[in-house]
Amino acid sequence: MNLFRSEEHIERWLGGRPAGVTLPGARLSELAQAWWGDRLDPGWRPHSVQQNQEILERLSLTGDFWRLPAV
Amino acid sequence: MDAADLELRNATYRLFVQGGRAPTAAETAKAAGIDVPSVHAGWRQLHDAHALVLSTSAMELRMANPFSAVPTAHRVHAAGRWWYANCAWDAFGICAALHADGRIESSCPDCGEPLAVEVKDGRPGDDRLLYHCLVPAARWWDDIVFT
Repeated sequence: MNLFRSEEHIERWLGGRPAGVTLPGARLSELAQAWWGDRLDPGWRPHSVQQNQEILERLSLTGDFWRLPAV
Repeated sequence: MDAADLELRNATYRLFVQGGRAPTAAETAKAAGIDVPSVHAGWRQLHDAHALVLSTSAMELRMANPFSAVPTAHRVHAAGRWWYANCAWDAFGICAALHADGRIESSCPDCGEPLAVEVKDGRPGDDRLLYHCLVPAARWWDDIVFT
C-alpha cells in the first residue's frame, strides 16, 4: 500500500503484474479517518467485519476487491 | 476478545503513544500490573484477533496498527514526534488516530524519489499523489507485512 507520483509510475512499478486499486490521496485520507480514527479511544472495541465493510461501502469502495473475508 | 485482552491492548497502545515506540513486554507488564508471561499470552491472543501484530522471530510487537514498531519507508510527524507507519494508508491513519495534523514522508516505489504531504484537518495538502493498493481486501491478513 504505497504512494506514487502518478499513474505512469504505478504502471511502471507493476511491471505487468495485475493492478490493484488506485485512489487519490484525499480518498485514502478519508478512508484512514474512518478506519483508524477511533484506534486510541479509551473505549475502543474491535470493529466487526460488518462494521469495516460498511466503512468501505460508505466511501463507495465496493466490489470484489474490497470484499472483506468472513472471520 | 475478553475484557482482559482489551485492557492489555489499550495499555499497549497507550504506552506506544506515550513513549513514541513499541513497549517491551516487561514495560507493558509493569504498566498493566501483570507478569510478563501473561503479557506474552495476551499479545498472542490479540495477534490472532488481528488487534496487533507480533514479530515472527520473537515475542515483540511488529505493528500496533497503524503504528509500526520497526522503521519503514513511511514516516509521519504528528503530535510532536516522528512515527513509522506500516504503509501509506497507515501513515494517514496515524494522523487520524492521534486526531492531529501531520506531515507524511515516503518515497515513490517506482522511481525512489521522496514524497512528502502535509495533512491538515484530515485532508492531504497535495491532491496529485496517488495511492495504490495491490492486494484485495480478502487477502490483506494472509501476509499483513507484505500487504
